[in-house]
Amino acid sequence: MVDKKIVKDVTNIIEGLGMNENPESISILEDVGTNSKVDAIREMTSRALVRKNVHDSLKVVITNKGKGINDMSTVVAMSTINELLSLNDKSEAMKILEDTVEMHSDEEVRDNARSVKALMALS
Amino acid sequence: MANLSIPAIRERLFNTSKHEVSTQRNSSNPFAASSFKGNVLTADVFESSKKADQPSFTGKLKASALVGSISGIGEKFHNIIESAIAFGNRMKENVVNGWNKLNEMEISFAPAKEKAISIYNSVKDTLGTSITDLVSSGISSKSIAKMEDMSMARQIMSDNVAAWEAAV
Repeated sequence: MVDKKIVKDVTNIIEGLGMNENPESISILEDVGTNSKVDAIREMTSRALVRKNVHDSLKVVITNKGKGINDMSTVVAMSTINELLSLNDKSEAMKILEDTVEMHSDEEVRDNARSVKALMALS
Repeated sequence: MANLSIPAIRERLFNTSKHEVSTQRNSSNPFAASSFKGNVLTADVFESSKKADQPSFTGKLKASALVGSISGIGEKFHNIIESAIAFGNRMKENVVNGWNKLNEMEISFAPAKEKAISIYNSVKDTLGTSITDLVSSGISSKSIAKMEDMSMARQIMSDNVAAWEAAV
């Protein structure tokens, strides 16, 4: 059983990095958060990156295999997609999704991006 | 101005009837005529005529008032005792009522306490952590959001994620 204090601290750190405007915060979240073996940490990190709603943070959760919408955990992937659908300004996310559908080398990533793009167009 | 020559004074002292008619009577003393025949003292040595407006309890009037008050003492004393008893009874009622209310309040605290515990537990269930844990938080999201030293932020993130992963 994980100590509640650790869970709370990690949650606050990820939230804080999500609000931090320093570009370095994105790389911290990508390097430490999205590569964690704990699904809950990857989920929180992906959502924080989506909420930043900037090109570099959205690129992490859309174009990388095994991260964000392409995560092997369905919970993480669906949670990331849900956060993308909740964005008020979806323009940057749509642009990255279009580029991924057209140019990404991995077919699975292209398929995922196409599905998410269709969902976002409907929402 | 009075005539103060010796013959004049002598005549006034020994021929009182002659001067009695013309003497001014300013005295309020009811016995002035019989005692001094009204011709010796012109000043009011008993009571000033200016105080005539105020009630004076002298002589028979005073005695009458005293007798009247004595005759009413029994009734007044009885009334005082009655009011004291009534006051005592009211105080007793108030004290008893107060005690009963206190007892009722004591009983009514029980459900309030249960409600408070219920609220505490619901908050704990909702947040997944107790209020005590929330208050005694070590790292706040605001402090991380304002952090400028990103190497420190990376270290904090790495340490805490590692601690979580180690616990799984």
